[in-house]
Amino acid sequence: MQPRGSQLRFFSLSRLAIILIGALRCSAGDLLTLPEHFRPDPFGGIVEADRSPGAAPARAITLEGARASFVSCHLLAIMPQPGDYSLDAGAFPGASGLQVELYREWFHYLPKTKNYYPDALVPVAPQYRSKLPEPDNRIANQTAQAFWLDIWIPANTTPGSYRMKAVLNAGGMLSAVPIEVKVLAAQVPAEDVVAMDHNTYGTSWLATDYPSLSQRAGDSFFTSDRYFELIQAFHRVFYENRGVFHQLGYGHGGKVGPEFAPRLEGTGKDKHIADWSLYDRHFGPLFDGSAFAKTHLGPRPIKLVYLPINPEWPASFLWWGEPGYEREFVNVVSEMERHFREKGWTTTRFEMFFNHKKRYKAFPWDGDEARFPADTAYMLEYSRLLRRAVPPGSPVKFVFRADSSWTLDRQVRELAGVVNFWVCGQGELAYQPEVARTLKQRGDTVWTYGGTPEVTEPSSHITLQVLRPWMWGIDGFVHWMATDPGPDPWFQFEGGGETLVYSGDRFGIGAPIPSVRLKLQRNAVQDITLLNEFRKTRAIEQLRAEAARRFNGTELKDWWSPRPPYADKDPLDRTNADEGIPEGPRFHEALDAGAWQRVRTYVLELARQEPAGDAK
Amino acid sequence: MKAAITFLLAASPLLMGQSIVSSEARAQELERVAKAATAMVDGDVCLRIETKRSREFLQKNDPRDPWIASDNFDVDHAPFIQTKKTLMRLARLCPEACDANLWMPVEGNPPRIQILIRNVYEMSSFWKWGDLHQPMPEEMRRVLATGERVTFRGKRGMISVLAPVYDSLNNIVAVVEVVSQEKRDLQENVK
Repeated sequence: MQPRGSQLRFFSLSRLAIILIGALRCSAGDLLTLPEHFRPDPFGGIVEADRSPGAAPARAITLEGARASFVSCHLLAIMPQPGDYSLDAGAFPGASGLQVELYREWFHYLPKTKNYYPDALVPVAPQYRSKLPEPDNRIANQTAQAFWLDIWIPANTTPGSYRMKAVLNAGGMLSAVPIEVKVLAAQVPAEDVVAMDHNTYGTSWLATDYPSLSQRAGDSFFTSDRYFELIQAFHRVFYENRGVFHQLGYGHGGKVGPEFAPRLEGTGKDKHIADWSLYDRHFGPLFDGSAFAKTHLGPRPIKLVYLPINPEWPASFLWWGEPGYEREFVNVVSEMERHFREKGWTTTRFEMFFNHKKRYKAFPWDGDEARFPADTAYMLEYSRLLRRAVPPGSPVKFVFRADSSWTLDRQVRELAGVVNFWVCGQGELAYQPEVARTLKQRGDTVWTYGGTPEVTEPSSHITLQVLRPWMWGIDGFVHWMATDPGPDPWFQFEGGGETLVYSGDRFGIGAPIPSVRLKLQRNAVQDITLLNEFRKTRAIEQLRAEAARRFNGTELKDWWSPRPPYADKDPLDRTNADEGIPEGPRFHEALDAGAWQRVRTYVLELARQEPAGDAK
Repeated sequence: MKAAITFLLAASPLLMGQSIVSSEARAQELERVAKAATAMVDGDVCLRIETKRSREFLQKNDPRDPWIASDNFDVDHAPFIQTKKTLMRLARLCPEACDANLWMPVEGNPPRIQILIRNVYEMSSFWKWGDLHQPMPEEMRRVLATGERVTFRGKRGMISVLAPVYDSLNNIVAVVEVVSQEKRDLQENVK
């Protein structure tokens, strides 16, 4: 598969760069560049997972993108000898509106592979001064520092070409990289065609991950303004990178974090909401969108939020099966509906979602990944209670979410008209396209869930999770855990399979910082959202077929799995050892780093062909 | 005077998770509740909580499926709910936030035990979060062997009183842990 368009120019330049890199050995320093999908290492090369024939740092780069989107690349400050340097990332002409954001790439050491991968992105000023080896990263013989360059193209930018130069000053010697951005007339829609969701649980870890903030606030940390600003910063880092953030506020035993629910008083018929103050401080700026006022995407309410509803809240499980349970549930949830309505919080979808599992010994049924037939009755009862609590025609959007795997097809049948937001095990949905079709025909929201590719996998692997939902015609994907980088992500990294952000604490930033993988995912979301717009003028199946061909040389049928033998077993007889039918290497080990670039090239081809405005 | 103090303690909602009760006084209150637990919790009902199928899987190990035991953990709803409600009522006797947890032995050598019912504050001096079953703590072994109530001071200011649960044959079949914490961690176990 041949690279096209700007990709081709890159490869021509990279050949030249190979020659030039040899020459720089005798210079003080050199500034080079790499496209986003070739992640650099700390010695001037490309990380093992992303290497491909002919790929090498280059002396110039051309980026192309639609309006209302980011384009990105890496900059590499290379110095054969230790010393001070400064990097000026440059700036585009003010009239262009293009905005430059620079991040220093942290090189994580992975004991299991005994090498370094960049992932955490530390925001730095466009004029950055430091030295190599970078003191805090502590890499012996480090000769290259990498930077992630984000360039935001506002929606009102005039289409055309814009140029700037990034300049490295090492020992008084200057090295420059010309950067050209070609802005197309097309515009990436504000609403993403796939929701990339990032999940986490509770908040106790925030005090550990942000010791500077928590120590400063002392015992009042969890009720302090800084704490709520920190939570909002989590929402913001995902929102700004075209993602969604979910934070579950209750435990498997029904313990609710005080900031995730209004405070209740009374019991039975007298149970009521006594205090909204913590809840409103926490969620108010998220529900009215003001928490996102200073973002490129602008202030919008969060799309979704977990409610604190669980078997123990708002009704006490002590009354389960008795009139008091219904009264407590209905009274409190009705008050919530009224509060949300009066506040005008009518955009966000409020999820009644049961995460508990009986294995954690607090309740007799599984809310999450239900497996046992007797558990279905509870879901039906909660649906009834929710309908009693929420008046018909309420503008407040309550949804009933279920995360389903073992018994997906059974739950889809039994909970028709009950659950309307499905988060499906990816492996289970993979062989049941008819389930996806059924749910979408009902008007339900359908996501899948799974893990996150570790940094040691080729950079394109994270984009597979963007492309797959779109290929399947569903709505999103959940990274089941997106905020846990492990005990020492900086020097003993475990790979990042459960995180896409890092604590900024060690850099004096009281907020999460993004990652290379999160940025790669964001750029893919932009592309697929723009690609989806062309369904107005082309058949969606044609768009999907070409995207699949370019991505990994597959056909549409390859994106669904054959039905595995275990699928016909009683779910209680199934085990995790039951083997599905593997997708094949083109979805895994043979999926090269350049896969998404080929899809992007396709999107840009279409965007160039469409008359301006058609793809808005 | 004692009644007044008891009233004040009971009236305190402890919204900030901060206890005003001395360690000794708290232990005495928990002891009182634990004693009631022995009287009120029905050991025969407890024996019917975990299903036979679940017990068959409980100690299975499969290198190809590390979750085989937990994925097959199941309970009979009626005895579970009946016992949980009793434990919740017992917890209401505490003057401050407390949980009453049910523990039951698991067959095997060396002896093991599993927490079988937890409650809303998600407190325990013994449970390691997520464990389906675990080695038998010496304090629980003592309760099961002798019928004594045992007071245990755990980590992070937790105090537990362990009490025996009897079935109709006068066998000790389970242990109730009545537990409170000097300063409740409002964020812990919200996950």
